[in-house]
Amino acid sequence: MRYVFTNLGQGLRRNLTMHLAVVLTLFVSLTLVGIGTMLWQQTERVNDELGNELQVTAYLCRDKDSNPDCVDEVTEPQREAIEAAIEDNPEVASYVFEDQETAFEKTKELYPEEIDRFEGPNAIVRPQDLRASYRITLKDPRESEGILSAVRGLDGVASIQDQRELIGKITGVVDFLRLVSAVVALVLGISALLLVANTVRLAAFARRKEIRIMRLVGAGTLYIALPFLLEALVTALLGVALAGGALVATQYFFVEGWLFQFGGFPWVGWDELLLAIGVVGVTGPVVTLLPTLLLTGKYVKV
Amino acid sequence: MIRFEKVTKTYPGTSAPALDQVSVDVEKGEFVFLVGSSGSGKSTALRLILREARPTSGRLIVAGKEINRLAGWKVPRLRRQIGTVFQDFRLLQSKNVAENVAFALEVTRHSPREVKRLVPQTLELVGLADKAQRMPDELSGGEQQRVAVARAYVGRPMILLADEPTGNLDPTTSMDILRLLERINGTGTTVVMATHDHGLVDQVRKRVVELDHGRVVRDVARGTYLHQGQD
Repeated sequence: MRYVFTNLGQGLRRNLTMHLAVVLTLFVSLTLVGIGTMLWQQTERVNDELGNELQVTAYLCRDKDSNPDCVDEVTEPQREAIEAAIEDNPEVASYVFEDQETAFEKTKELYPEEIDRFEGPNAIVRPQDLRASYRITLKDPRESEGILSAVRGLDGVASIQDQRELIGKITGVVDFLRLVSAVVALVLGISALLLVANTVRLAAFARRKEIRIMRLVGAGTLYIALPFLLEALVTALLGVALAGGALVATQYFFVEGWLFQFGGFPWVGWDELLLAIGVVGVTGPVVTLLPTLLLTGKYVKV
Repeated sequence: MIRFEKVTKTYPGTSAPALDQVSVDVEKGEFVFLVGSSGSGKSTALRLILREARPTSGRLIVAGKEINRLAGWKVPRLRRQIGTVFQDFRLLQSKNVAENVAFALEVTRHSPREVKRLVPQTLELVGLADKAQRMPDELSGGEQQRVAVARAYVGRPMILLADEPTGNLDPTTSMDILRLLERINGTGTTVVMATHDHGLVDQVRKRVVELDHGRVVRDVARGTYLHQGQD
């Protein structure tokens, strides 16, 4: 094994600039792969943690309603028809009817410092100014199309609010960033593959005499290829280490140092970072070892 | 030890075969000169024995292994039983004499203890014990070829192939190398030496196999380089 490790050191020194190019390209592409993984987990986490709390709310018409969809306050038969439509829909997990009085109380609680707007002689908001509503919880928050079309347009329904639309805007941005990082990582990944291939070619050329003698005296293919594979592994590990450092820095300084100030949102944490580093840790060696294996098979074949 | 049975080798893109229906049997411990002009098929025969190429037809058996059927992963094991010496020495310039010889053992996974034991023994045999630490460029041609012979023999192969080993050497040095190969042959190693060197072949009178255009045209015990009526 002495030969293998001596050659590993020699090989790394001999092609130092090539190896540096591979390490730096790997560093950037693997960092992007890691960020992509974290963005993907960010979307998952938003959907998982907020998705179950997301509701579809059907607001009902009130007295003297200005909404063009309303003729007058919702009637009892209309309300029953709406309730039946909700009840019959297979996507619905549960629903709660919130009457105008409850809506008034909730709104009042939301603005405790403006209590005089709701109570006393100067009150300007009354229960009949608020809409009664059905708060519908879905079995799968991503499947809201059925209930929306079932309730929309029914007599007595003023409007429908799907909270998922709000989340959709955030996940849309995240998805776009994820796509961008995936494309850039792919392009850089291909560059890394080509750089590795070129490095192997140069190294095989520099060692052609040794390789020829090794073949003649009966060294096995794997043994001849081992210094190449170890070189590839070392460059991969350096790339992974740098990318891992960059990801930890991103988590520490950007996510926790800056994004966390926007509380109440499920930002990715250290668990997600660990998975991203795991993905990077596997991708790096694959990117360098795969072309090395293929090419050394060609150059050092006994 | 080496048996060619109607072996033909045709390289892709050529019509004339490099070897044509060659049948030769080399016994264990024999010393054989392979002679013939350039392009007669000597090097092809050695390449086939090393399994650097495969016969197009016929059977070739080396050290009990049929070359045509030998799986790729078994080739290194075959080559560990064959030592090879070339005209151009093929030494690693960055390694000293002892390191060049040890290299053959190290890359075939011999233990450091074996390397320590075999390298000085072999350098002693080739007469270079006192030059173990010299670099190849500090040696004469004859000495460099001795290092190459030491490297070929250090693993104690059953067969030693020498392809024009004296091609770059003066007659005296050539004879020294031949004597060295004879000494190795004396230990029971089969030696096949391809050569153009009339003088050498005529002086030692060993078995001569002559190739011409890929065919065996002469195979005689105690022969000379050129065909003489009495052979």
